[in-house]
Amino acid sequence: MVFVTGIGIISAIGKNVSETLSSLLESCTGIGKINHLQTIHKDNYVAGEINYSLQELEGLGGLKNSNYNRTTLLSLLATQEALASADIKDVTAHRTGFISASSVGGMCHSELLYKDFLEHKSHENFIDTHYTGAHATDVAKHFGITDCVTTISTACSSAANAIMLGARLINNNILDRVIVGGTDALCKFTFNGFNTLMILDKEWCKPFDNNRKGLNLGEGAAYLVLESERVVKAENKKSLAILSGYGNANDAFHQTASSPDGQGAYAAIQKALEVANLSPTKIDYINAHGTGTANNDSSEAAAIQSIFKENIPPFSSTKAFTGHTLAAAASIEAVITILSIQHKAIFPNLNCVTQMQDTTLFPVTSLQKNAVLNHVLSNSFGFGGNCSSLIFSKN
Amino acid sequence: MAMYINGTGCISHQNTIDVDSFFENSQIDLLPLLPAQEPDYKDYVPTNMLRRMSHIIKMGVAAAKISLQQAEIENVDAIITGTGLGCFEDTDKFLKTIIENNEQLLTPTSFIQSTHNTVAGQIALLIKCHNYNFTYTQQGLSFESALVDASMFLNENKNSNILVGGLDEAIQPYYDLLVKAGHIKKQEDIITEIEKNKTKGFCLGEGASFFVLSNQKNKTTKAQIKGIKKFTSIKEGHDLQSKLIAFLQELNLSINDISLVLSGNSGDAEDDKILNENNKHFFSTTDVVYFKNLCGEYFTASAFALWLASIIIEKQRVPKTLLQERSNKELKNILIVNQYRNTEYSFMCVSSC
Repeated sequence: MVFVTGIGIISAIGKNVSETLSSLLESCTGIGKINHLQTIHKDNYVAGEINYSLQELEGLGGLKNSNYNRTTLLSLLATQEALASADIKDVTAHRTGFISASSVGGMCHSELLYKDFLEHKSHENFIDTHYTGAHATDVAKHFGITDCVTTISTACSSAANAIMLGARLINNNILDRVIVGGTDALCKFTFNGFNTLMILDKEWCKPFDNNRKGLNLGEGAAYLVLESERVVKAENKKSLAILSGYGNANDAFHQTASSPDGQGAYAAIQKALEVANLSPTKIDYINAHGTGTANNDSSEAAAIQSIFKENIPPFSSTKAFTGHTLAAAASIEAVITILSIQHKAIFPNLNCVTQMQDTTLFPVTSLQKNAVLNHVLSNSFGFGGNCSSLIFSKN
Repeated sequence: MAMYINGTGCISHQNTIDVDSFFENSQIDLLPLLPAQEPDYKDYVPTNMLRRMSHIIKMGVAAAKISLQQAEIENVDAIITGTGLGCFEDTDKFLKTIIENNEQLLTPTSFIQSTHNTVAGQIALLIKCHNYNFTYTQQGLSFESALVDASMFLNENKNSNILVGGLDEAIQPYYDLLVKAGHIKKQEDIITEIEKNKTKGFCLGEGASFFVLSNQKNKTTKAQIKGIKKFTSIKEGHDLQSKLIAFLQELNLSINDISLVLSGNSGDAEDDKILNENNKHFFSTTDVVYFKNLCGEYFTASAFALWLASIIIEKQRVPKTLLQERSNKELKNILIVNQYRNTEYSFMCVSSC
């Protein structure tokens, strides 16, 4: 068994777990005006931006002149909180790994310098911090983690795969504990990318609403500390939840679009249920991928329908709180899922009003308290057909 | 647990599509930038898909297809790739247009093909593979990360076939960035005896090396991977040596069982120091050859080394350009010791079976 013993998070709805929980309980979204990202589109769109400058983020981590880019700093801050929350003081006490996830890594910094580079004006070396895995090297080094350091980059499902890999490294007796999650900073590169795909909503996104127009981008990082049963018992540690299932599959339909019947999503959920050894009826809530694009929400609804048939569990997407944080999304939603289990709360799917025409499914749109959540499913899907599902269970 | 290599495909600076020709004709012809020798991709990918594919996608998909052909299978239970840089050609293209057009009038094609998992996704699309699909990116340990996952996957899923690959592209803007950062060897500093370098920098290579792995041996099996280890914390020669001894012990091997060492010297005198020290003392009586003389340095050059080791074991010969003379004893165990920028190290042991 794999236990979650610590969590750390930073996103548009808070710089730590307690701020995040307050925002969720108060239905307070983090999506709003763009202040820090220097894009010509900033006044025409909203985003889930973390309202701290690079220097302010450094300050939050007790750093100065670190030369870390935004992606690395977000990763570092969430990792710091996760380690503290798991009460880990000595990372060398057990075989400890750091498995991160990111889509564009240091792009937030590289894109600022690329013009000067193209015009032969820049002398700054930014390529060494550009690599998507570079943040993991730096953060692992910062905390002294050496046993297994790697980064997964499977677009918007990346952090789910990092969490899954961490669990497998423990189950295969390669590691005793592992910090898993993902990080992505807003950047012009991804902003313009999603904009050219015409899947950005200029206003607040409306996941699972019939009139949804697209997603809002966000930024953030979140990490979980996973520990083996042996370590948890030996150290008498408090577990926040159990990571009981995980599944990864490929839609093999289109480079960016999901198949109408959600074949990849279906397979990922099915595999996660098999690993957890649970029947679909045991799932009490689904934290959906629910990006707010026409394509994703229909495809995901179809997959949920095929798995759960007449017994659709309550579900909601929390992306209208945080925005779509890409490679970090699955870990941000994993932390939110664990908060749901701990606080017996289903957080609402904001902004959804109109029933989707192609399905009978409708999400939870107001805060549900006193929900008994024994098993919760969390979905994440991405470009390249990558589909991943995780199941978290109550201790 | 052993991982059998039942098929491989490699695109590199050498002609690695034709293995016989590779043994006869490969040569050390170092330049600061060592582009891949590319096959006629039409042999491997439908033309309609080919048109949209960038350089790295073509290399990856073709190497994957060759591996599947060799293993005589059409589909797999998992696709796992490792790439340090990802799809830089498309990344550069999209970034350039953002800058040139001031964030206006952009088209999405290069953006949607810029994610690191594009190649694994394209392979899945091509062979209609709905199974496990992962992409790792950890600089010089990207391929090794994929291989560690592969070994776990085979442990969890007996009787499965999986496709594992390491790939990186060396396109001009990336090369220019590396020159600016001072990582590329100056033309006048290039020498063919890579281990004797006294100057900074490496020659940048590129390529894609894929493998069909299984825990079942069959008639297409070339070699087996006995072990894989990766490190981010090696500080000195002494440290490397003790980790090597532990690695061999775990595999029940002694240094005398190693027939050949493929050493990952990049040509950068400073970065190669620990490897050189180790080769001199630890492998004083074992043949050591330098594979980056053939493929250049890149994040996933170790995947080229694994390809090289597997065909050396299969054919029981070493390309003359790497080793002039060697004893006639059987090539049983090949040890790959790689380093990237002296921060990331890995060992792989490839053996006959």
